[in-house]
Amino acid sequence: MSTSKKINKKDIGKILSQWNQEFTVLVPSKEGDVSKMARWDGKDTGFMDSHRNTVQPVKTNFFPPMEEMFSFQKDKEGYHIEPVSPGEHKLLIFAIRPCDANALAILDVAFKDGYEDPYYLSRRKGTVLIGLGCTNPYDSCFCTSMGSSPSDSTNVDIMLTDIGDEFLIEEITETGKEMIARTEELEEAKKADEAKAKQVKEASYNKVTRKIDTKDIDKKLLACFENKDYWEEVSAKCISCGICTFLCPTCYCFDINDDSFKKQGARFRSWDSCAFPVYTRMPMENPREEKWRRVRQKVCHKFEFFPMNFGSIACVGCGRCIRLCPVNWDITQAIESVPEIT
Amino acid sequence: MTVTNMSQGKRFFASDNVYLPHLAIIEKIIEETPGVKTFHFNFKDEKLRKEFSFKSGQFAEYSVLGVGEAPFCISSSPSRSDHLEFATQQVGKVTNALHRLGVGAEIGVRGPYGNGFPLDFLEGKNLIFVGGGIGLAPLRSLIWNAIDNRGKYENIDIIYGARSPGDLCFKYDLDTWDKDKTINIVSTIDKEDKGWSGRVGFVPKVLEEVAPSASNAVAIVCGPPVMIRFTFPVLIKLGFTPGQMITTLEKKMKCGIGKCGRCNIGNLYVCRDGPVFTYAQIKNFVSSEY
Repeated sequence: MSTSKKINKKDIGKILSQWNQEFTVLVPSKEGDVSKMARWDGKDTGFMDSHRNTVQPVKTNFFPPMEEMFSFQKDKEGYHIEPVSPGEHKLLIFAIRPCDANALAILDVAFKDGYEDPYYLSRRKGTVLIGLGCTNPYDSCFCTSMGSSPSDSTNVDIMLTDIGDEFLIEEITETGKEMIARTEELEEAKKADEAKAKQVKEASYNKVTRKIDTKDIDKKLLACFENKDYWEEVSAKCISCGICTFLCPTCYCFDINDDSFKKQGARFRSWDSCAFPVYTRMPMENPREEKWRRVRQKVCHKFEFFPMNFGSIACVGCGRCIRLCPVNWDITQAIESVPEIT
Repeated sequence: MTVTNMSQGKRFFASDNVYLPHLAIIEKIIEETPGVKTFHFNFKDEKLRKEFSFKSGQFAEYSVLGVGEAPFCISSSPSRSDHLEFATQQVGKVTNALHRLGVGAEIGVRGPYGNGFPLDFLEGKNLIFVGGGIGLAPLRSLIWNAIDNRGKYENIDIIYGARSPGDLCFKYDLDTWDKDKTINIVSTIDKEDKGWSGRVGFVPKVLEEVAPSASNAVAIVCGPPVMIRFTFPVLIKLGFTPGQMITTLEKKMKCGIGKCGRCNIGNLYVCRDGPVFTYAQIKNFVSSEY
């Protein structure tokens, strides 16, 4: 007797409604040109027809583009600081792709290590991820080179696989198992359904055509750190606009600034990018004045420095940067052309 | 999997939130040079004042609420803790705001952050301090710490220089150390100056002339990036190994706790894995990024 369930795609609204009682349900939505995970309106399930992956990464829900850290005011006694607590949001993210779920695992490490980041972690706590395997990857996708695949369920609680008119539903974590147990309207999956899912997963894997070789990439990058010619060539097209950083599901650099008017104000943080010339600028000097140093930082941080610190490459192969860079700068090209160690 | 080289020292959070500053009052301001000030301060909260501890070489993030926050080392010694000190040059938005404050003003302080100097490693050795300009600030914390624990260290040599006599910081310390028979101090200025009868020459050049022995010695270097870059080759020439050369670096910082990403040198974050580094740790990246 299999432990998998299934549901007809037409009936997705029925299980979302149930989950909506307990969680804030986010589904793939479109706001103008930008697709993102947004609050389910309670009715529409048409998003399933066109969803390949959202432009806006899922990190936005836990690490927003701008958030207040604390407010303060001044009176006769001096300053008073009021912390802001985002509180727990109990999010359920429906149809998250494997790459984005893996990206959250990377961000979790970064925001927990050493000092815990209260803003990200309180939003992240209690989040349930319902993964949806990809059947139509972009040509910019390269998750299969990053230790993952279109059907990778490593970092989700429940995994859905598109088997035609239905979704196969697999429990992945204890949380997922409990949720499936208390969700009504699910049918038992048959062996034929599971066999179909296996077929779909294999076919999807082979649809990812873009590949890179990351073997020893950290050593290769260390060896060419001082190779200015290589980095100047790699960085030539980049216009330092930062779009890759904003859309990357594993990028997390931020800026901190104060704002005030008369006797009150607030400190807030906002998305920043190592691509920006002012990112490392100090009054007396800027160690990354030249663009080739900044592009080097981006590539080396993801493929060398983050793995040196935390054991995994900080890239999930989602391909957003390749797809949406205004000058078609391609990180896979940069990685493939890193000189061999001589 | 996580790895952190961070100091496992005590942490002092306000409301369980590492980003919230504690409030502190400025008690004294010393104008070291035109443009450099030392601020003496104490925490408003009595309990924190008593409990706060730090290691030489650690830094804190200081806020002028409404303007911003910037990192400076704690320049006082942990062995003299009736108050805390930091020194800063007036160069940007936050430092200009700090320099406009008077005694009694309230600032925010978060910390201590960073790894501090490796006192265990330095014990029983000859300490060679090489400082330039305001770079003396973190060294000063360690020098006073060493003086207050004099028996733990062998020779203490200080080579310190600035652009001109007026740019020498902590002149009151230089005078005291000059009179201390257990310390050798050589002060220098970059170019000839009418009011100066001492040595003349850039710090790395004077270091080469003084030529301290590398035997059982550790060199602790801090100053402008260009000074540090030229000091390392001199130390290597004098026979210091990369593990015998320590420096404390600064980078643009915001969070101070290894999260916002901007202060890295290679895989090391100056705020989290530093600011104290051995030359061995950073030599792969130092000529290029620093």
